[in-house]
Amino acid sequence: MDDLISEFLTETAESLDVIDAELVRFENDPDDKAILDNIFRLLHTVKGTCGFLGLPRLEAVAHAGETLLGKFRDGELKVSAPMVTLVLQAIDQIKYILEELEANGAEPAGDDSELIKRLEDAAMGKGVVEDKAPAAEEVPEGWDADLGRELRPGEVSLAELEAAFDSTGVEGEDSAEIVAVDRDDDIKETAADEPVENLGIGDFDPDLGRELRPGEVSAAELEAAFESAEAEPGMAPPEVITPDMSKEEALQAAVAELSGNDPVAGTKGEGVKMTKTVRVGVDVLETLMTTVSELVLTRNQLMQTIRATDDEELKGPLQRLSAVTGELQDGVMKTRMQPIGDAWKKLPRIIRDASQDLDKKIDLEMEGSETELDRQVLELIKDPLTHMIRNSADHGLETTEKRISAGKPEKGVIRLKAYHEGGHIIISISDDGQGLNTEMIGEKALDKGLTTHEELARMTEAQIHRYIFAPGFSTAAVVTNLSGRGVGMDVVRTNIEQIGGVIDVSSTRGKGSIFTIKIPLTLAIVSALIVGCDDQRFAIPQLSVRELVRVGAGSEHGVETLNDVRVMRLRDQLMPLIDLHEKLGFGEAAIQSDEDSGFVIVLDAGGRNVGLVVDNVLDTEEIVVKPLSDSLRGVSAYSGATILGDGSVLMILDPNGLAGEIVSAMDEEAYNENGARSAAEVQDTQRLLLVRAGGSEPKAVPLALITRLEEFEGDAIESANGQEVVQYRGRLMPIVGLDISIDVGSGERQPVLVFAEDQTAIGLAVDEIVDVVEERVDLQMSSGKQGIIGSAVIKGVATDVIDIGWHLDQVRTGSVQRRATTTRRKVLLVDADAFARRMVAPLLVAAGYDVTPTGGIHEVRVVAEAGETFDALVGDPTALEKIRAEGFWVDVPAFGVTDWPDTGQNEGMTAVLPKSDRSALIAALDKASLEEKAA
Amino acid sequence: MSGAHMTGSELSSEAMNEYVSVRIGNQLFGAPVNEIREVFAPQSVTTVPQAPAEVAGLLNLRGRIVTAIDARRRLGLPPRDADDAGMALGVERGSEIFGLIVDSVGEVLRRPCAELEPVPAHVDPNWRSMVKGVHRLDKELLAVLDVSAVLGMANKDKAA
Repeated sequence: MDDLISEFLTETAESLDVIDAELVRFENDPDDKAILDNIFRLLHTVKGTCGFLGLPRLEAVAHAGETLLGKFRDGELKVSAPMVTLVLQAIDQIKYILEELEANGAEPAGDDSELIKRLEDAAMGKGVVEDKAPAAEEVPEGWDADLGRELRPGEVSLAELEAAFDSTGVEGEDSAEIVAVDRDDDIKETAADEPVENLGIGDFDPDLGRELRPGEVSAAELEAAFESAEAEPGMAPPEVITPDMSKEEALQAAVAELSGNDPVAGTKGEGVKMTKTVRVGVDVLETLMTTVSELVLTRNQLMQTIRATDDEELKGPLQRLSAVTGELQDGVMKTRMQPIGDAWKKLPRIIRDASQDLDKKIDLEMEGSETELDRQVLELIKDPLTHMIRNSADHGLETTEKRISAGKPEKGVIRLKAYHEGGHIIISISDDGQGLNTEMIGEKALDKGLTTHEELARMTEAQIHRYIFAPGFSTAAVVTNLSGRGVGMDVVRTNIEQIGGVIDVSSTRGKGSIFTIKIPLTLAIVSALIVGCDDQRFAIPQLSVRELVRVGAGSEHGVETLNDVRVMRLRDQLMPLIDLHEKLGFGEAAIQSDEDSGFVIVLDAGGRNVGLVVDNVLDTEEIVVKPLSDSLRGVSAYSGATILGDGSVLMILDPNGLAGEIVSAMDEEAYNENGARSAAEVQDTQRLLLVRAGGSEPKAVPLALITRLEEFEGDAIESANGQEVVQYRGRLMPIVGLDISIDVGSGERQPVLVFAEDQTAIGLAVDEIVDVVEERVDLQMSSGKQGIIGSAVIKGVATDVIDIGWHLDQVRTGSVQRRATTTRRKVLLVDADAFARRMVAPLLVAAGYDVTPTGGIHEVRVVAEAGETFDALVGDPTALEKIRAEGFWVDVPAFGVTDWPDTGQNEGMTAVLPKSDRSALIAALDKASLEEKAA
Repeated sequence: MSGAHMTGSELSSEAMNEYVSVRIGNQLFGAPVNEIREVFAPQSVTTVPQAPAEVAGLLNLRGRIVTAIDARRRLGLPPRDADDAGMALGVERGSEIFGLIVDSVGEVLRRPCAELEPVPAHVDPNWRSMVKGVHRLDKELLAVLDVSAVLGMANKDKAA
């Protein structure tokens, strides 16, 4: 009995789902008879079975619903929304009762009389009724005098039965063909020997004097069937229920009817439509899946062992075994695939209900419902999808009035799309509603302390939109019972990320929003990277691994710290680093000092780059992902476990879980951009000395060029050879006033900026040293003003930036030369950054080199074509490389000057030096020239 | 499953409880036989960093991943010596297999159901949630383990 009830429950649940969807379709297209017939037939069958199984409550509700539907079908009642709602309510009630039945084994105590009355009232036309000519004949209800009650589906009146029985010999349980009705509304018929006209539903059976109901067979067919009696005992449950049949048999009949069994194969073969499917329990498939996975693992183990030995004999068969196992694996994977339409089944109903509740007109379009995906994945995304659809309906689409006044069509459209793309399934949910409210989201994010005003100001719209995935986030002013409780989108994202998928949103205010979900197609066997940390090994899904980089001593990449987070520069973007030791709480961090080195696995964590620092990278292996034990589910670092070919158990790391606390999703891009910006800012910020010299406006001097700031007593300054000098560190240092005239011998203290190179020092006198600032210098190049590189806004004030080089030159022309070199060595300076050039050039000039500054490869080519030769190349390493690559001055020493000397740009460079270390550059140049001289 | 310690007649027709006897700490415990799938020696347990304390780790049992739960931890007892791996009782829960790690496994004991007494007052209160009752044996108490509770799955009763 239990099995029958279980089967009944499964079958009926499916039927109800179909009824739901069909009712919605029907509502939109009430003239489509086929849909209505389908619905009617399904409900009718449900009712019938309930009767047989002794489920009176269900039967009563189903019957009342069926009656109402019957009125539609007969054309006596016009279809209206409230009517359909009523029928849907009946369906819901049936679902509820079924749930209780499943849970407790019996129908719940209770009363549906109120619902039934409403259904009956509606059926009797107490609702809105429009008179319509009755479509067909007035059909008398199948009242069977003998039975004393209405005929139930599948029943033939007793009188007819007797007639049929009398005319033939009944052989026990043998009965004839079954006219079983399957879901497709096709009547499967087996041809009888006699040319009996096989009547279908709705056909008028002359014997019975009325239309055939679903499940009913014309009396003529019955006779024919009894006569031919082809059924095998036991295989053909009787379709016709006779009063003297046992309940078992009756049940069998009913169930056979429900499941559309056609136990007697079409022997004559006419008109048989066989559904070539098999029902297999999910647990059977799971077992099959696991077993095959183990087979794959064992195969892997064997392969490993074989690789080690040289046994040729084994290799051949093993290859075969491997190939066959692969095929088996593929085949089993296929059994797990289900069309995504299965997850979409319930959506039309949900939209319809939402549309009513919210009083909005909504169209749900579904594209690609046949796209297949793994059953497990399907289960997991059902709820997220439903939630997002509800969201779109509730918050996305505007009310009808708003839409009209916005010039949009009155019906809002929600479009579901699914398709395959490169090993993934892409699902998109789009609506043409009002789009996300960026300001509100931003405010909410501020409120929740998720960001600051500055960060917010720097974010793009898309980045702000991503805040909706934050826990507890909802900008819905009013929480409806549909959505808005703010637990939705973050749960959605978690669910999706759990299966290795990603979700993103794109929205335009006033136009609508699109949510896109990308999920990997197969779950079970994945390629994984095996990494080691101390003596533990871990697996990382290959799909998440973007790159593998060595970091630390001896590599191009260095570990830096930004805002207390360890980061690494990866092609000009800062990437947060996670040390696996630290994250998992064992051992010591891989990179603690500059001498350490390690490996960084660049991981894709929900679309963002995160670097995982490990000790070793060992191998790539195909692994079977085994789900985490419940007791470990809370540990976000792991997404599962696996058994390697050597039998050892490894934890599978989850990039999203690992990255979680370091950088939350919303910050990712902001972080990258911020990081890039801060890096850029660090590059662009200059430390400037603000001084006043000849006037009240401040002037700025790049601090890097200045050796020292001194203050001399006025009377320390003397005059020699027409040049102001001061005794400084045992030498005479010439001083030049920066746009000022120096009071020689006055009492005032004179601030002087000292520029020292080796033995020489030159002083630049100013009126006042005001401040040292570190600022982004947006240099407006000035044309022609001598002594000034340009001007920039510093601390809100337009400030001249002094060209130290020029000033120094003024001094030099009159004063002691640095060295009596007859020829000044020539240096080609290459840097796109004008400021950088202006900074480095004077240094080199002051050190006695002839500098040819160039901005880029074009200028360089010009210089090259002019046949110039140089003793050294100095500048931006990348540019220098390019020059080298083009073959210019290949054997001339090249010195790269950069902010980040460890970034590995030292290919072919004689040296790479930090911008800030001027003397190192000079020293290097000097050394090179000495070497050359010596050579 | 061999051997049986019997008091009274072997031909007794009383209802009997059968237990796999194990030692954890100094205490003799009994795990109902029908809940124990197998007994094995835990080998190569992979520790799981960040896992809850009582999860000793994961191990491979003929191709299936078994979650090892350390009984001593659950009972609040000090850990075994580092070189003592103990023994494991394999328990199935739903689709998962757990290994309850104990110090040693003894014989199967059969005790009359009637002999089962409620947990005495002097037993550690922490243990009460994991012990269903006791049998008084000659020399000691046999504490009947509530296997689900010990595994920490009191809420999820997915019977094997």
